[in-house]
Amino acid sequence: MILAIANHTFREAIRKKILHVLFGLGVFIVIISPFMPTTDEPDARIKMAFIVFFQVVALLCILGIIFLSATALPYEIEDRTIYGILSKPVSRIKIILGKAVGFSFLSAFLLGILSLIQVFFVWQAASKTPEKYRGVLKARNEFRASQFSVRGKSHHVREGIVWIEGGRAGVAVWNFLHLPVESGGTGHFEANYKLKIESSSVDVDTIPLIVKVADAVSGEGKTNILSAKMDEPLTVEIASEIIQKSGSVEITAFPLRSEDYIGVTPDDVKLFSVQNGFAVNYAKAIGTTFLKFLLMAVIAVTGSTYLSAPVSIVSALFIFLCGHILDFFKDFSLLLHRSDMHDHSLLSEFDKPGVFFEYLDFIIKKPLEALSVILPDFKKFDSLKFLLKGVDIPLETVGFLLGYTAMYVSICLFISFILFKRREIL
Amino acid sequence: MGDFAAKTEKLTKIYKDFWRRKKPPALIDLNLHIERGEIFGLLGPNGSGKTTTVKLLLGILSPTSGRSWLLGYPSSDLKIKGKIGFLPEESYLYKFLTAEEILDFYGKLFNIPGKERKGRIDRLIQNVGLDPYRKRPLNQFSKGMLRRIGLAQAIINDPELIILDEPTSGLDPIGSREIKDLILAFKKQGKTVILSSHLLSDVQNICDRIAILDKGVLQIMGSVQELLSKNDVVEFLVKNLSADAVREVDTFIKSRNGSVLSINHPSTTLEDLFINIIQHRS
Repeated sequence: MILAIANHTFREAIRKKILHVLFGLGVFIVIISPFMPTTDEPDARIKMAFIVFFQVVALLCILGIIFLSATALPYEIEDRTIYGILSKPVSRIKIILGKAVGFSFLSAFLLGILSLIQVFFVWQAASKTPEKYRGVLKARNEFRASQFSVRGKSHHVREGIVWIEGGRAGVAVWNFLHLPVESGGTGHFEANYKLKIESSSVDVDTIPLIVKVADAVSGEGKTNILSAKMDEPLTVEIASEIIQKSGSVEITAFPLRSEDYIGVTPDDVKLFSVQNGFAVNYAKAIGTTFLKFLLMAVIAVTGSTYLSAPVSIVSALFIFLCGHILDFFKDFSLLLHRSDMHDHSLLSEFDKPGVFFEYLDFIIKKPLEALSVILPDFKKFDSLKFLLKGVDIPLETVGFLLGYTAMYVSICLFISFILFKRREIL
Repeated sequence: MGDFAAKTEKLTKIYKDFWRRKKPPALIDLNLHIERGEIFGLLGPNGSGKTTTVKLLLGILSPTSGRSWLLGYPSSDLKIKGKIGFLPEESYLYKFLTAEEILDFYGKLFNIPGKERKGRIDRLIQNVGLDPYRKRPLNQFSKGMLRRIGLAQAIINDPELIILDEPTSGLDPIGSREIKDLILAFKKQGKTVILSSHLLSDVQNICDRIAILDKGVLQIMGSVQELLSKNDVVEFLVKNLSADAVREVDTFIKSRNGSVLSINHPSTTLEDLFINIIQHRS
């Protein structure tokens, strides 16, 4: 019965013109995204495709979902088609559940089609990008150096960057401790270098670099000579035997020639364990975006059980907007907090805040604090930051978001059952 | 299980506005008792409380006070809705669906298994004369066709009790007659029909009993025959009587202190005349 209503809701929704317009716009944007003007970064086109999809296209889709889910029930009540359902042996709880499931079908449908189109265009953009710059199409776990030091002497330190002269005058050392040894069995590790280079020779944009990756305990490892280019990251694959020895790795680097220099910081070398392929990571990103859509659809349906269509849309949009700026609410209420502190300070009567500030406390600060606690934080669903760095979305994050969504969906459904049960349908 | 099809006891409904202020009562202390197998007419002008009564019986609205039962169960009991068919006032149907799809959707809401549902849909579409239009979306249907598909959805669950709100509204005389014939057929099948209407001729022709509501108050309730018969007037319908014989009868009646109110040739109804002409032409 719930599925019948869900299926019906879905079929009704996909006939709406507003969805056709937004979906068409979404498809158009997905198609043109790889051809948009970008920076000179080699992987900029791929990144642009991701940004456009997860920020612009997803926004268009969620606006469509909000509009449809906030209006479905009020319109059915308004045109009285709801009588056809209410006169059947269907409880109001099942009607709400049917609507929610129907809009989750719609979310999955929209995301499914658009993401398939996007994957095709990302793949096309990737085929035009050299292999070594396709880091964003991986799903890696990032590890930062536990220790950073310079063996020998550094040439100078400027703005936090340690400059090392070539010819073994100094060696930059990054130590990565407690790496997950078991990961080495299934996937592999790679080191990513982003060093600054300089040379006293004229017109040099590439310098030879000696890089050694070794087990931190035994010192056994492999030495490579790499060509470091200005502003270009270097990626070196690390044999899993090195990682598996002790779970700790030492990476050293220095310029081969004495006329060359490298500028280094602790974060210039990162280690990545490559676990899953891009497909799995992308599926996770789409999955978390789907959870966001689902949550927003349920919130909109909840409002629609009691409110008219226009008020329901505005309320859902308000929650959607607020859910993205909860940090601002927190910061703003902290700023207002200062007015409180005056009350308890030893300031003179003159310096104490006036009645206005006390009211401000109740009118602005308390509601903002309440909103930041009650409303769902939609920023938690941001999977774009992972994709842009080619970093694997941790399963813990996906699990957390599942739980987070389930909690809010349960609360919303409970509220909507109470509201809709009591609602008089005239 | 009671032996009645529907019953209300002091059923009262007072609507409230947005600010929870009470409006004038829509229904006051309504006591109805509808027997199984009868066609019961609920009459009254617009705003008399007919639709409110129907919604309360169906459990779509909650009463302010009083109680109601359908087929022996409280109206609020979901189980009972499986045995009830309802045709709303206007055919409030999902216009984007085809005739077949809308029946399938409502059939699913009754949990009718797939094969059986398909069989019923085929039968019903044929019964209401919409077989050639089964794949056509309802937004291309005329008002009469919508009424027919509305009626089909109301009986997809083979209900024991059928509640029809203005079933003939918007229909031409032929469509109206077909619906009335269908209602009489329901009665023959032993089903109970509650008919809410303000078209008095419809109700008079087919209802066994009626109730008249006005401003939410039950004004009168009883069998159509009882309520409409004039016990002090006698009517003969005689065929092939000459003018002389009519005069003799008239004289005889006057000799017995009776008074002849009118001597007419009975006329057919306009509806019968219309249907005869149209059917003869087609």
